[in-house]
Amino acid sequence: MASLFRPSLRTSAATAVMLRLGRPVTTTSSATTAAGVRCTAMKNLEILRQAGMAKKGFHASASRKILPAGPQVIQGTVNEAVEVPDPNAAHGSYHWSFERLISVALIPLTVAPFAAGSINPVTDAILGATIVIHSHIGFESMIVDYIPHRRYPALRKGAMWALKGATMLVLVGLYEFETNDVGITEAVKRVWKA
Amino acid sequence: MFTRSSAHLKLSALPKPFLIARSLVASQFRPIATSISASTQNFSPDGAHSILVAQRKQRPISPHLGIYQPQLTWCGSAANRITGSILSVGAYGFFAAYAVAPVFGWPFDSVTIAAAFSGLPAATKFGIKFAVTLPFSYHSWNGIRHLLWDTGKALDIKDVYRTGYVVLGLTVVSAICLAMV
Repeated sequence: MASLFRPSLRTSAATAVMLRLGRPVTTTSSATTAAGVRCTAMKNLEILRQAGMAKKGFHASASRKILPAGPQVIQGTVNEAVEVPDPNAAHGSYHWSFERLISVALIPLTVAPFAAGSINPVTDAILGATIVIHSHIGFESMIVDYIPHRRYPALRKGAMWALKGATMLVLVGLYEFETNDVGITEAVKRVWKA
Repeated sequence: MFTRSSAHLKLSALPKPFLIARSLVASQFRPIATSISASTQNFSPDGAHSILVAQRKQRPISPHLGIYQPQLTWCGSAANRITGSILSVGAYGFFAAYAVAPVFGWPFDSVTIAAAFSGLPAATKFGIKFAVTLPFSYHSWNGIRHLLWDTGKALDIKDVYRTGYVVLGLTVVSAICLAMV
């Protein structure tokens, strides 16, 4: 399944099959360069050797190259220490507590309108805003996890700004929905009973 | 993942200077009588930097998730993020669409949506509702489990499994019940 997204996986899977069939291997990596073509024959030899070695050695399967390494950004000298950010409660414990506060608040906000059977527009607006903040934090942590700043600084910045833009648009939509339509709770009820 | 042989494979992919260095090493073991023909090469700081970059790209990288045995612990954690992103993408998509609907003249309000939904066959209705209630239920129950962990409770492996199974059970039951309402 992962090979859908990662052509290198497909290549290695094909290589493994070919090896089993005892046929010569041709690598068809999408990232094949002129230099890569030149040493394809050598690579094939290496892959075959590797597969043979792998059986004898510690590994039961051939090594699979998954994702190519990202761009290597080396700032200053090689041995420069990683910058340690200044301790800041707003980025640490307060942020953590705020996240939990939002999560905890979502429980009564979700249950109450349906349990009470009545809809308060203010409660509904708070529920909507809390959902948006919770989602924003969730998207933010996904960007932080999957787009390392160290490796993709521009992409990271772009993703963060795109998220901020999306959240602003969503807040406008939420405001419009709360003022011109019936609100989240009532809308869900309508669709559910339709 | 870093066998002797895979190190070998990586060597072949290294830029030229490395191969020169390799042959240099080999040349040191030649009989003394033969003249050493290898020559050294001077590099500019930029050249050395690019070698370092090329070398770094050859470093072993973490294996893909597929090699790990599926376990309730990490699969449940992944499911928490996946269900959360499904719900959030859904909410963002809905409100963003509502914000831009007047610009494009889309009829996008609760009455229209409810009317369109009522026209669907019963099985499709249940399917759509279940597709919403399943991630909602899982993320809600597992969210409560996370809040429990945040208080420092139920953190040993036995409790992690116990609460994990409880979450799975509650998810299935509540997802079906909510979809049938």
